Amino acid sequence: MDHTGELRVSYRGDPAKLFPLALGTGVLGVVTLGIYRFWAKARIRRHVWGQVRVGDDAMEFTGTGLEMFLGFLMAVVVLAVYLAVVQLILFAVGIRFVLDPQNQMEEIAQGISIALSFLAVLPLMLFAAYRARRYKLARTRLRGIRFAMESAAGGYMLRGLFYLLLTVVSLGVLWPLMTYRLEAFMTQRTWYGGARFRQGGRWTGLYSAYFHVLVGIGMLGLAVAAGVAGMEWQAGLLGALGLIWAMVGLILYRVRAFAYLMSHKEMDGGLGFRAAPRAGRVVWLYIKGVVIVGLLGGIGSAVIFAPLATLMAGVEEPSALMAVEFAVLGVAAYLLVLTVFGALTLVFISQPILGHFVESVTVTGAAALDAVRQRVSDRGADAEGLADALDMGGAF
Amino acid sequence: MAPLPEEAVFFDGISARRQVVRVEVSSDGRGLRFGRELWPLDRLRRIEGEGLVLALLTPGGDELPHDPARLVLADGPLAAWVRAEAKGLSRRDVRRGTGVKVAGRIVLAGLALAAILFVFLPRISDMLADQMPRAQEVAFGQAVLRQVEGMLGGEGRLACDNAAGLRALEKMERRLTEGQGLAYDIQLSVLDHEMLNAFAAPGGHVVILRGLLEAAETPEEVAGVLAHEIGHVEARDPLRLAFRSAGSAGILALVLGDVTGGTVIGLAGDYLLRASYTREAEAAADDFAHHLLARTEVGTEGLAAFFDRIEGMGGDVPEFLSTHPSSGGRAAAARAAGGAASRPVLSEAEWQALRGICG
Repeated sequence: MDHTGELRVSYRGDPAKLFPLALGTGVLGVVTLGIYRFWAKARIRRHVWGQVRVGDDAMEFTGTGLEMFLGFLMAVVVLAVYLAVVQLILFAVGIRFVLDPQNQMEEIAQGISIALSFLAVLPLMLFAAYRARRYKLARTRLRGIRFAMESAAGGYMLRGLFYLLLTVVSLGVLWPLMTYRLEAFMTQRTWYGGARFRQGGRWTGLYSAYFHVLVGIGMLGLAVAAGVAGMEWQAGLLGALGLIWAMVGLILYRVRAFAYLMSHKEMDGGLGFRAAPRAGRVVWLYIKGVVIVGLLGGIGSAVIFAPLATLMAGVEEPSALMAVEFAVLGVAAYLLVLTVFGALTLVFISQPILGHFVESVTVTGAAALDAVRQRVSDRGADAEGLADALDMGGAF
Repeated sequence: MAPLPEEAVFFDGISARRQVVRVEVSSDGRGLRFGRELWPLDRLRRIEGEGLVLALLTPGGDELPHDPARLVLADGPLAAWVRAEAKGLSRRDVRRGTGVKVAGRIVLAGLALAAILFVFLPRISDMLADQMPRAQEVAFGQAVLRQVEGMLGGEGRLACDNAAGLRALEKMERRLTEGQGLAYDIQLSVLDHEMLNAFAAPGGHVVILRGLLEAAETPEEVAGVLAHEIGHVEARDPLRLAFRSAGSAGILALVLGDVTGGTVIGLAGDYLLRASYTREAEAAADDFAHHLLARTEVGTEGLAAFFDRIEGMGGDVPEFLSTHPSSGGRAAAARAAGGAASRPVLSEAEWQALRGICG
């Protein structure tokens, strides 16, 4: 293998720089009743993208808060019509069971109506997931050249629904098929300048990553069989064990599937990737992050709530006006605590895990970059507005 | 005093090739010269990143009015000189007409949302409410009542059940409903809560809170309020309101984003408790009450007196007054509707029993 054309991808995140940014923009978000969140997202992304380096060159995020805000306005109107109608219809159908099921039949009906209200937004979520990735790529640059993704959210949504159905019907066994096909669908529509990406590999190649989930599913199947046969404690034990096994397996799967899919992506001109993230490391970073966030967040909450508590303790018989003042202060303090936890989570959990995934990647055949030409800009109609309105943003 | 030339990395925005260039200050000292490029200082803009990443302001551009080309200077004398000399380095340029465009979009979105919330949703809610079978509505009303009880008192049942009080309540109910050809079988109850309030829930449930019994001075006043609530029941207002809040709760959650967390979830129940019917619905319920009170010979004086008393109290205004600016006006309207009392609704003993219904 030719090692001369290799570029290491690195992440230079610094908690001391990200935390003030995340906290400051978070507070502005609370003060402006959430309106600032679009600008907050743009500023955080500009910072985070700038920490990702391919070789010596930094990524750049060029999206703006304003365009995300405008996209959101558009998405809200569309969603409002959709949700209002869907909710009303479901409400009319499920009105008897939603609040208080009276018997088993009604409990089942309640379950169905809740599942239906989730299913109603599922197509939209798939649509929005594609649009959000397209927007992010369209606003990402490396070496002055734009990334892009073709407009195909509708096709993605239909395929997503189809593969989801397959996955459910096969009791989870065909999940890797869904993972591979959907990722390939997006990768094949991804461009860096005038160079196109391709997803190599096969969907069956994901099964070694999926092995432990299958083991978990197998145990759950056995548990059901044991339950039917009347062996109750064995069924319970197998069920619990299978569930835990499948959950841990799912973490392994997420990490290993990323490695497999990334390692089999190619770009025109022979550029490829090698990715070797380690699941153990991801879990460790997560646990470490949770402990740090818990500790610092606890201290932060104490600092925020202590003055309020002292103030309240000094008052013996609060008047109506004072009660209102305390209520307002209490809500403000609560929102501030939430913001602090949000910023800490971003800095000590999301950023290190992102950093690990980024750093696990090596670019091969980087000489192909020199031949890549610029492409025209993508206006990005809703600028992720739909994804934001559905609250499916993720950390970055 | 211009710094010495330095090496820098240049991406021309046309190809992804990394070009190492020698950057020098132009002869007039007002720009950077490298290769065939001359970048004037006043058009330089800083891009976030390590060192000093520069872009050139252009009238065209894409999402930002920047040329896609980038010049990356390492931190050093030249970068320091640029930082000091290029005044517009960190300016956020906005295209002409952006303000108008943003204002236009906000107004459009606002109008569309208002149309959905105030025209579209009410129409559909009313339509769906009208098609709902009576039996389902009654079951839904019971569930709503349980929820309201939970919100008011937490654990345990709040319904008051003093036997003599219940008998008095039933007598009042019969007086108002018997032979009136009402579409609903009115289910009347009293909840043990200090709030001065009464409300109607879907399916013919009418609830009085203890605070109202304490504030009223005659049974006719309570009967007046009951007549008003029965008016809401007959017009199916509670059910329509429930449908509206079901449709709009999600929209509010959407617009507010996740800043307020799950607070919007409780909105629907709260909405029902505080039941802000429309002005027309209130007027219709008042009108219904006037006729009912006249027909049953209870008289509208009790209702008028109650309005007067509320007006005198100021401050906490109960639900069935909330959407009207002046209860004085409603008192006058009630008096004008006339309808003299022929015989009292309850005897003095029964009235005392009703006030003691919560034990």
